Order: sequence, then structure tokens, then C-alpha cells
Amino acid sequence: MSQNLKLSATLAFLALFMVVIYVAAGGNDTPEAAADPELTRADTHFLTKAPDDKVTLVEFLDFECEACRAQFPTMERIREEYDGRINLAIRYFPLGGHQNGMNAALAVEAAAKQDALEDMYVKMYETQAEWGESPDSKADLFASFAEELGLDPEQFAADVADPATKERIAKDQADGAGLGVQGTPTIFLNGEELPSMPSYEDLKQRIDDLLQE
Amino acid sequence: MLSASERETRPDSAGFVEKAAPWIVTIASLVAFAAAVVLMIEKLMLINDPTYVPSCSINPVLSCGSIMESDQAEAFGFPNPILGIAGFGSMALFGTYLLVGASASRWLWLAAQAGATFAFGFVCWLIFQSLYRIEALCPYCMVVWLSTFALFWYLSLANLAAGRIPMPAFLEPAANLAIRFHGALLTGAILVVGLMITEAFWDYWQTLL
Repeated sequence: MSQNLKLSATLAFLALFMVVIYVAAGGNDTPEAAADPELTRADTHFLTKAPDDKVTLVEFLDFECEACRAQFPTMERIREEYDGRINLAIRYFPLGGHQNGMNAALAVEAAAKQDALEDMYVKMYETQAEWGESPDSKADLFASFAEELGLDPEQFAADVADPATKERIAKDQADGAGLGVQGTPTIFLNGEELPSMPSYEDLKQRIDDLLQE
Repeated sequence: MLSASERETRPDSAGFVEKAAPWIVTIASLVAFAAAVVLMIEKLMLINDPTYVPSCSINPVLSCGSIMESDQAEAFGFPNPILGIAGFGSMALFGTYLLVGASASRWLWLAAQAGATFAFGFVCWLIFQSLYRIEALCPYCMVVWLSTFALFWYLSLANLAAGRIPMPAFLEPAANLAIRFHGALLTGAILVVGLMITEAFWDYWQTLL
């Protein structure tokens, strides 16, 4: 074996060893998985609800995730088309790698307390390009969104700071982790996890099939 | 002992590097060229139909779509793959030209070196953008990263070994060391990028365990 091959193999083992050490040290912290995960709970936010429970679409999302933003127009189109005919729920799943994923989720949850969940949800994806991937906290920007949407700024600030708001998001995360959500967006249709980033046509086909059953 | 073996191995490695360079340049360029063509086709499909999901958008991390839609994908105001098609295409020609036994003039080697150096710098910037700004990986782009690393490395070493790059005397030991440990150093560089990828997307990889 040549010197270069031997050294390369040594380096590869060294790299593997570093990864093993990192794993053993616990790596980054990830949300704790719920022992009894549920797709929807009493406090889950629905963008639209049907009188029957024939079709329930649940999206685990992160407001800073670009793939979620790419999925957003599809989800909006589905919501418009099936308004009142299906259940469409969103659940928070801010990812650790995003500086403002949690801040954005807090802002949306605080807006929800003032019945402005949808407005803030839409606002987040429409503006994501302006604030996403930033290493700095965008909490102030999100507070300005609240003002633009005509929310009570003091109440909004109080709700963002309230530990209960964070716990509410952590509960969604725990359900997601328990259901095997690996990244975002992860979409469940009647309890079945769909392939990553379904197209409008794919979703429509699946929903129509279920509605006709 | 080291100095004795150094005297023996240095010419060996230099000879190996010079013989291997045309092959590595040709193969790496062809591979990167193919990846650039695929990326360009995907980009055109995406331009035609904004809802098109590229073939390499597999999951939130392996996602060409989010990469192709980024500003960084048009670093010079036009899609990056255009650079790749032109650059790797020329480089593949240069490599083939050497492989058929033709000898290239020094300026041609240096022109190739300039192109490869630019490609290497650009790829390093793209790696940084992909890992820490866009936070997604695009498999075809990673093929280009890997090919560019190999291409730049062996072309540079071949130029150094043949003395085509003027070099101050005090840097010569470093150049000789690089030539002697050519394979290990390239492996090391690739492993460093691999570790960076492992770390940057740790949250995601962990969920796959």
C-alpha cells in the first residue's frame, strides 16, 4: 500500500472518529419526542375546517425553511380550492439550524392569540427572503409585522415573551418528533406521511380520491 | 531516515503526479461537465415552470430547488452552470489533448491553471454559501465541488512538479511536500468538507439515525 493510501485511510478513520465523538457528546439538542404523539390536538391551528372529518391535511413547518416557502403557494392554492371542504392544520416545527425559526413561530403564535394567525403565517412566507438565513435575531422585525397587521403591540410583545407561548410550540415539535418528522415541510394526509414536497396536482389527486370515497 | 526516503520518493511522486494529471483533469472535467449540463437543463425547466421540482430535490436538505432559486446560483448575473459548461468543456478538451500525447505550451498550461484556480475559488465560495447561507445541498453541485477539488489539485501539482509555475526557493519544500502527499492532502481536504457538511446539517442527519 502506498504512503498516500495509508495516510488517506488514517485521515478517514480520524474523521469518522471525530463524528463518533460528536455523537457520543450528544451533538446538538433536538426536541424531545412526545410519548403519545397526535397529529392534531384541541389547540391545533386549522386554516380551514370541514363539517366532516373526511380529509385532514396537517403540515409541520418552519417559517424560516426555504423548502416550506417553496411549498407555501401550493398549500395556499389547496386551501383556497378546498376551503370548508377539508381540514387543513399547520403545526410548528422550527428547526435548530435556523436562527429565527423559533422567533417566527413565537410571532405567529402571539398573532394567533389576537386572531391573526393566518395573516402572520402568510406574512412570514411572503417576507422570508428578507429575513431568512440571517444570523441576527429578527424579533424586532416580527414585532413591526404585528403593528402592520394592526395588532395590539403591547399584548403581542407580552405573548411573545410568555413562556407558555414557547411551550405551545415545543408541544407541536414534540408531536412532530414523535410522529417521525425529520425535516420541514412534512405533510400528513389522513395520518399518512406524504412524499416530501408534494405538487399541487399530486395533492389534488389524493384529496379528490379521499373526498369521493 | 526521512531525508533518505524523501530523496527516493520525491521524484517518484512528481513523476506520478505528472502522469496522472492529464487523466484526472480529463475525467474530473467530463464528470463536472455532465453535472453542469444536468443543472442547466433543470434550471431551464424551472424557468419554464416555476412549480417544477428538480430531480435532485429529495428532501429538505438535499434540495436543488432551493439552491437553484437562490441569488448565489446566478453569481455573475447568469446561471452558474453556463460557466461550468464552458469551463469544464474547455478543460476536458485540454485534458484529452494531453492524453493523446500532444505536448502543450507553457502558456496553455498556465491558462488552464488560471481557469482551475478560479473554479476552485468559486467552488469554495459556493460551498460556504450552500452550507451556511442557503442551508441546503444540491447533489449535482457536490459532484462539481469534488471534481473541481481533484482537477485543481492535480493540475496545480503537475505545474509545480514541472516547474511551470515560478516559485521562490523558500516555498519549494512546501511544494515538494504537497507533491509527495498528493493523495493524502486531497483526501484530507475532501474530509474537511465532509465534516463541515456533517456538522452544518447535524439536526437533519440525526433524525435519520
